[in-house]
Amino acid sequence: MKQKAYFTVEDLVVDYGGVRAIDGIRLALDKGEIRGLIGPNGAGKSTFIDAVTGRRLPTAGRVTLGGEDITRLSIIARRDRGLSRSFQRTSIFADMPVLEQVFLASHQARAEHPEEDALAILKELDLEAYADWRAGDLGYGQQRRLDLALALVGSPSVLLLDEPMAGLTVTESRDLAEHLKRLARERRVTVLLVEHDMEIVFGISDRVTVIELGKPLAEGTPDEVRANPKVREAYLGSAA
Amino acid sequence: MLHFKYLLWLLAGILLPQIVGSATLMSLLTQAVIYALFALGVGILLRQCGLVSFGHAAFFGSAGYIVALLMRDLEFGAGTAILLTLFALAVVAFLLGLVVSRIPGIAFGMLTLAIGQTVYLSTLQSRELLGGADGLNIAWPGSIFGLDVRLFYDPAGMFVISWVVTLAVIYLLDRLFRTRFGSITSAIRDNEERARFIGLNITLPKALVYSLSAVVSGLAGILSAIYTGFISPETLHWSVSGMALIMTIVGGVRHLWGPVLGAILFFFVKEYVGELTDYWMAMLGAVVILIVVFAPNGVSGLIAPLLERKKRVTKTVVGKQVEAGS
Ligand SMILES: Nc1ncnc2c1ncn2[C@@H]1O[C@H](COP(=O)(O)OP(=O)(O)O)[C@@H](O)[C@H]1O
Ligand SMILES: [Mg+2]
Repeated sequence: MKQKAYFTVEDLVVDYGGVRAIDGIRLALDKGEIRGLIGPNGAGKSTFIDAVTGRRLPTAGRVTLGGEDITRLSIIARRDRGLSRSFQRTSIFADMPVLEQVFLASHQARAEHPEEDALAILKELDLEAYADWRAGDLGYGQQRRLDLALALVGSPSVLLLDEPMAGLTVTESRDLAEHLKRLARERRVTVLLVEHDMEIVFGISDRVTVIELGKPLAEGTPDEVRANPKVREAYLGSAA
Repeated sequence: MLHFKYLLWLLAGILLPQIVGSATLMSLLTQAVIYALFALGVGILLRQCGLVSFGHAAFFGSAGYIVALLMRDLEFGAGTAILLTLFALAVVAFLLGLVVSRIPGIAFGMLTLAIGQTVYLSTLQSRELLGGADGLNIAWPGSIFGLDVRLFYDPAGMFVISWVVTLAVIYLLDRLFRTRFGSITSAIRDNEERARFIGLNITLPKALVYSLSAVVSGLAGILSAIYTGFISPETLHWSVSGMALIMTIVGGVRHLWGPVLGAILFFFVKEYVGELTDYWMAMLGAVVILIVVFAPNGVSGLIAPLLERKKRVTKTVVGKQVEAGS
């Protein structure tokens, strides 16, 4: 018998007023798995992350983490269980120094050594030189990385990243991909990666899920998905 | 170095009454410092939570009433009555804060206004217990906290006492806001949604700041009630809340001394410009609008950079800021 996955989303439905943005998406992620979630603009990827992390209540469906139903839990309760996310539209503490906020996030996630943890993440994301800076004074790319840092600190168990590579240089993107791989392999972090850079998504994901207009389109290993004619037609084809 | 600065300001406050010759000016300054403390109370709510209260007169005014009742009807000593009052304000405001601080923006302002006016109107109605519109005379004992009560009635004496209290409050608040609690409240004010996503509880810190701001405002109210020996519903009126808010906005809240400066400016403008023209309230309104538009950090925000000179480098050590070169 197959063991139940660590992080599952079952038949999720999300409405914006009368508009159905997510219509029956299911996902099952194992511990330490990197899952790519792709789909054209407006497919519902951000909405999906919002509903899973508690930013928006789903109309129907179930989210479980380690066997526990977390569908109706508060944002804070989900974070306490290790669910952590980044934002497509950068969300940082603009008036606060960089290190202070990453430290706060780490401390709040009960990291054992929050200061070292925060400094390590800043180093990893090439932000250590800006530790004293007021976050609002950073450039766009740096703010993107800070948003990411706030999600990465404190050893989360599930990371949901909404286009984390946008605004990063090619080298930074590659470093981040390596970092995510290490988190998954070494610390068994489960990663849901929404990303437009196909090379990176297909490069590091164990499996890839494709959605279109809020509905599932395909799922499989990167090779299977790449070879899927429906995906080629609906998505990759139009990009190529 | 920090302590040295406070020591200088302490000394300046003690010496000031020796220099000021005019009794009118002294009494003006005394009032200004009492209201400075009140404005500070309103200011920390704005500074740490971004919340604009239109109802803090409820804390300022009721503090005097509670002390008066505790002494008159329950026969507490002045010191005990004052401490009990501050404690009661802290508890009540905390519980109230758990509810009202969940309400965003303008709605929060309106709600605090409504609560404040409710307290005002009920006090006005209560003739038996609270003396209605006439208010209450407070029979202060011969000494309060070991200080001769005549010291409190004398403008110069009261000035020094209020100055010392205000400095002490600024010092303590400054220490507090440099701790993780300060970080947490700043983060919440800055970006409440992201604060939730890093796992911060939002309501509790806000309620704590609300409570703290009520206690500081109440402390000012008690000083005022000792100074005048009298408490009336006037002190609960929304216009008193509005006045404290204006001082806070004029002074700015980025620096804790901003509201203090705002209060002093307010009283000077009221005294000297009010004498020249009957339209001083309109002028004040114009000044407030100019400040909100052109200097969102208030007058203190304008002059602070001039005072800082070469210590522009602000080094951040996790959780606290240390000013380099000062
Ligand atoms: N706050 C909102 N209110 C109404 N509709 C929204 C809102 N946010 C997104 N949508 C709609 O929901 C659909 C999915 O959007 P989104 O989740 O942002 O897609 P993606 O992240 O895949 O680009 C789109 O049609 C979008 O217009
Ligand atoms: Mg999106």
